[in-house]
Amino acid sequence: MTWLIILSMAAVVFVSRHLLLEPKIPLRLSKNTLTFLSYSAPAVLTAILAPIVFVPEGKLAISMHNPYLTCALVATVLAYITRNTLLTTVLSMGLFFFLYSP
Amino acid sequence: MSTAESITRSTNKTKSFFAGALAVMPLTIAVIPWGILAGSFALEIGLTAIESQAMSAIIFAGSAQLVALGMIKTGIGIGSILITTLLITSRHLLYAMAMRSHISPLPLKWRLGLGFLLTDELFAISNQTHGGQTSAQHQFDRWYALGGGLTFYIGWNIATLLGIVAGQSIDNLGELGLDFAIAATFIAIVVPTVKKPSILVSVLVSLTLAVVCAVFAIQAGLLIAAISGMAAGMAYAKFTNEGIATTDTPGADITPTKEDNL
Repeated sequence: MTWLIILSMAAVVFVSRHLLLEPKIPLRLSKNTLTFLSYSAPAVLTAILAPIVFVPEGKLAISMHNPYLTCALVATVLAYITRNTLLTTVLSMGLFFFLYSP
Repeated sequence: MSTAESITRSTNKTKSFFAGALAVMPLTIAVIPWGILAGSFALEIGLTAIESQAMSAIIFAGSAQLVALGMIKTGIGIGSILITTLLITSRHLLYAMAMRSHISPLPLKWRLGLGFLLTDELFAISNQTHGGQTSAQHQFDRWYALGGGLTFYIGWNIATLLGIVAGQSIDNLGELGLDFAIAATFIAIVVPTVKKPSILVSVLVSLTLAVVCAVFAIQAGLLIAAISGMAAGMAYAKFTNEGIATTDTPGADITPTKEDNL
């Protein structure tokens, strides 16, 4: 079963990456579809990260004692100011492990 | 003469390959904790070491892998896993579309190879070389893309292997807070793309619904939140006559700038 999941996921991912690189596939995505898809990266990535940050132990934790939340806020500010992926991830993770370490 | 020519050509190839490898290095370093998490988490929920490594080697999609592992852990069926994978991976359609003019004329082995290696990170470095301008006006270097894509692939797989090895000897690796690496990376990717009110609306709707669904342990939370966020962003843009979404995401390269879709 695990192998079936791995292989079928691999097929879905590969097709999405490769499909529109094929010259034989005509482009038939409408403008509305393209506009809709242009929101997919921010919306999907946010939907993945939000529960990690706000619901770390299965419970809503909007508090400065939640290191996930404080460090995510720091990361947001850093990303907004520097627009630098590496700097944002390294500094906010450094702070996180400093605060989180038991 | 022809020998000299071919030597020059192969040095250029090597040079481009290593230039691509160097360009992707910071992103490869940033993905290491995440790869460690992917490897150790897979082991923790009961996959064998081979299966855990195969996820990174064959699927090669960090966010889809981690979300799928979470779903396997809670016993969700393969159908839901694949639908969620399709949603998470749908942004690659846009990346491929943006790079279509460069890659589709290449021979099949290049199309397959670069298609397999097409990640957020490869897309990011391929765009950097274009200096922010529309990619169509610039020379696309297949060796540069291959060097970047392959380096990232190897880095991701080594990090996964580290996670598998560490996961076998350290018990509660999952409690080290490695999942914050995912949040940090995605924040660093998402924040710079928020250039218009409609994208902010999309992000806030997605965030709120994802949190609500997580609190109530709704399994389809990711789907509900992401699709609602996308729809809300699009509706806001239409309602306020914002025009076609132009962001740093590949939509910018492929959607016309003329605001004639309303």
